[in-house]
Amino acid sequence: MAKKKPIKDAAESGVTRRGFLGSVGAGAAAVAAGVSTRAEAIPEITDPEEMVQIALTVNGRLHRLLVEPRWTLLFVLRERLGITGTKAGCERGECGSCSVLIDDLPRYACLTLALEAEGTEITTIEGLLDGEELGDVQRAFAEHDAFQCGYCTPGQIVAAEGLLRANPAPTDHEIRHGMSGNLCRCGTYQHIVNAVTHAADGRRKGGGS
Amino acid sequence: MSSPDLEAHVRGTSRYIDDMADPAGMLHAAAVTSPSPHAELRAIDAAPARALPGVVAVLTAADIPGLNQIGGIIQDEELFATSTVHFIGQPVAVVVAETFHQARLGARACVLDLEELTAIFDAREAAAAGELITASRTLDTGDVDAAWADCDVVVEGRADTAGQEHLYLETQAALAIPEEGGRIKVWSSTQAPTAVQRITARVLGLPMNLVEVEVTRLGGAFGGKEDQATPWAVMAALAAQRTGRPVRLTLNRHEDMVCTGKRHPYSSDFKLGLKNDGAIVAYEVHLWQNAGAAADLSPAILERSLFHATGAYFVPNARIHAASCRTNLIPFTAFRGFGAPQAMFVMEAAIDRAAEVMGLSRSEIQAKNLLSEGDEFPYGMRVKRSRARRSFNEAAGRFDLAAVENEIAEHNATHAVVKRGAAAMPVCFGISFTNAVLNQAGALVHVYTDGSVNVSTGAIEMGQGVNAKILAVASAALGVPRERIRIENTTTRTIANTSPTAASSGADLNGSAAGLACRAIADRLRSVAAERLDTPFDRLSIADGVVLADGEPTGLEWNELVWNAYTKRVNLSAHAHYATPGIWYDKETEQGEPFAYHVFGTAILEVTVDCLRGTSTVDRVRMVHDGGRSLAPAVDLGQLEGGLVQGLGWMTMEELVFHQGRNLSDTLSTYKIPDLLGTPVIEGHFLDDADNPKAVMQSKAIGEPPFMYGIGVYFALLDALRAFRPDRKGVYDAPLTPEKALMFLHGDR
Repeated sequence: MAKKKPIKDAAESGVTRRGFLGSVGAGAAAVAAGVSTRAEAIPEITDPEEMVQIALTVNGRLHRLLVEPRWTLLFVLRERLGITGTKAGCERGECGSCSVLIDDLPRYACLTLALEAEGTEITTIEGLLDGEELGDVQRAFAEHDAFQCGYCTPGQIVAAEGLLRANPAPTDHEIRHGMSGNLCRCGTYQHIVNAVTHAADGRRKGGGS
Repeated sequence: MSSPDLEAHVRGTSRYIDDMADPAGMLHAAAVTSPSPHAELRAIDAAPARALPGVVAVLTAADIPGLNQIGGIIQDEELFATSTVHFIGQPVAVVVAETFHQARLGARACVLDLEELTAIFDAREAAAAGELITASRTLDTGDVDAAWADCDVVVEGRADTAGQEHLYLETQAALAIPEEGGRIKVWSSTQAPTAVQRITARVLGLPMNLVEVEVTRLGGAFGGKEDQATPWAVMAALAAQRTGRPVRLTLNRHEDMVCTGKRHPYSSDFKLGLKNDGAIVAYEVHLWQNAGAAADLSPAILERSLFHATGAYFVPNARIHAASCRTNLIPFTAFRGFGAPQAMFVMEAAIDRAAEVMGLSRSEIQAKNLLSEGDEFPYGMRVKRSRARRSFNEAAGRFDLAAVENEIAEHNATHAVVKRGAAAMPVCFGISFTNAVLNQAGALVHVYTDGSVNVSTGAIEMGQGVNAKILAVASAALGVPRERIRIENTTTRTIANTSPTAASSGADLNGSAAGLACRAIADRLRSVAAERLDTPFDRLSIADGVVLADGEPTGLEWNELVWNAYTKRVNLSAHAHYATPGIWYDKETEQGEPFAYHVFGTAILEVTVDCLRGTSTVDRVRMVHDGGRSLAPAVDLGQLEGGLVQGLGWMTMEELVFHQGRNLSDTLSTYKIPDLLGTPVIEGHFLDDADNPKAVMQSKAIGEPPFMYGIGVYFALLDALRAFRPDRKGVYDAPLTPEKALMFLHGDR
């Protein structure tokens, strides 16, 4: 694994703001295909503001970009890649709104450095679609009204997806336990349990992705 | 039928303000806030901030072109403190910089020269010192002084409830964009766009017609964005006006928890007199509301406390005193229930104390005193269509309360350490803003030539499903499928002079206005159809996009009819205004009809306490609720369950702790809200045949009432604790955290 080459100035790298990316589509700075390799070592860091070049695989697409080593994955997803389904709720790993899958495991993107995520498969809510259609967990949440204001919903769905990948046949208690890291202030918990139960049933019957 | 946002929510494509693309040249703003609860502000040294990279401006009161005043009900709150700071977290300046991070570094670099002053944090102390927000108020009905002599039993005590953090998952956020001609466009995460517009105009020195406030949706609010969204939006607008560049101001969670108002803590003394059979004869209560450092909505919240002090019960002789006390804490604000939960907790505490003294069961006293048809509230209104008894009886019967109580008694007799408890919690909640002026709404409906429809109202969608309900009303009134109708963003440019979406009344008011506008258009279209089909107007109707004559399809479809009307130069747009009829209140006599109607219901709550550890589980909550004829049953069920969960949190685990004015519970690691593991099995039932001619399509408001079912959990827990310590009397100091439970179980006081 080659050592990362630090780059001083963000502007010269062509990294653009979310505003620009949002207007031209998140793929603008992405390379359509590429083979990512797991980072074997975190690059040596002398200056926390020194930009480092990394490659992140998000929802199957490889993005090459410059990051400050201290940037969280949440910040990079939202502010650099324009992928805003992942929400900031507390930015301290306490609410779960920013849940993403890293190699199939639910993780808080606010507590994950972008650097750490290099070489992994990152999946956000946008990556759970089945083509253009809703994925099975998304569909289950829709069918069971498992949301109110919608703000925690992407994180809930991602956490449910992670739970089902690790445990395709969770018990009621396992669902409650597995989803307890994601807060819903609207209190739609009962519907969330119903949705996850339904999605699990669907997968067991072979209807899921 | 659920939310029109359903698909976008589960795809993650719903946009909240922080998801909106940054406009070109956008800056970030961060507030400089007071570290002191009360101090003379001698100087603000902004030079260190201005010297930092990326900092574009530091704005203080001196930079305000209009008035430095954001107070709503009472103008007692500066946007930026000038001579004195009154609470920790009070803004004194705003730093505007190129990045979020630079703005925060700038805010931290500002140096405040403060001279500490004496601070008061306790409501009773404030009242004793004469520090009141407004004159205290008293409701007085019957003859309380004479009534005590008629009572067989009189109990007295004290009851306290702590505040509550809203913890809407989307923090306060605003994006202000300067436009041509001095106009400012503000995207705000607010329940009250007109309030943001009015205060922005006042502070920026602009007429209201140069300020537009637009809202797509909120990521939760619960009252916390009724008044408390305003200062942040105004700061963003001021920064945009001064710099000429778009400005985004988003609080992070910690800032939001430190700097924004919460549910009011209350402290109360009660005195309740009863007959031996449990009939309530007289009730007197003093409520001290801790308002914090500024009025905010406190006077209105105090009024609702007065109106709900007797809960779901008829009290022939009642005297209710309430004082709004100024302290050096954050200005407390609206939160689901709006002062009613605090007052209702005191009434339940008084009943609990009476049950304890008299050896009766609490539910026996509750059932005996529930409101009956025609009973008069202390504010002079008589209850109509009371469903207090009906819902209580249905809950007690359906869930077999007697059997639950027996089973628990048996369990407690045979278990030494693990004790159980149950409680019934009847709720009666008045619907309408108690300030009658606010009970009005507007709607604007456009039918386009392709038959698609846009409906705009003043309602804010914040997860409570108001858009689903307006959609149901519009679809029924126009006779077109919901898929043809879009509920528009809420903006002050389309609908002016909106009331906040609050007081559970969003669907009642805005749904009514939308219905009126839709019916006006539908009537015009029926006239066109009458001419076209040569059929009398009265025999025609439109349903599901088809024109019917005497209920039979005519072959004329919506799209064709709309185009036909357009070619005949018929107006396909309508604006309508709705004002709730018949409501009034006289503050001089403290009498009136402040509510259009009341919502009723009863919950039965069951808990288990580990008396070795003080930890508890809410096992099951079952409710019978008077929901009228629901416009959106899925939405109402969600509100019923969600309101309950918040109420359970307030009563059991959400412990707001202030020390010397500093909020020690200022993160999610120090302030716990219910999670999935802590949420009980919930069963919600709606009363059948529950008509309500006082609201749109016989529906009933639902946002706030279910919150108060949560109050019951306190008394269920108390029963379990007393089963372990029968020698101890009940204490009424919510929340009843495991720590407090442990003190009760193993302490002596």
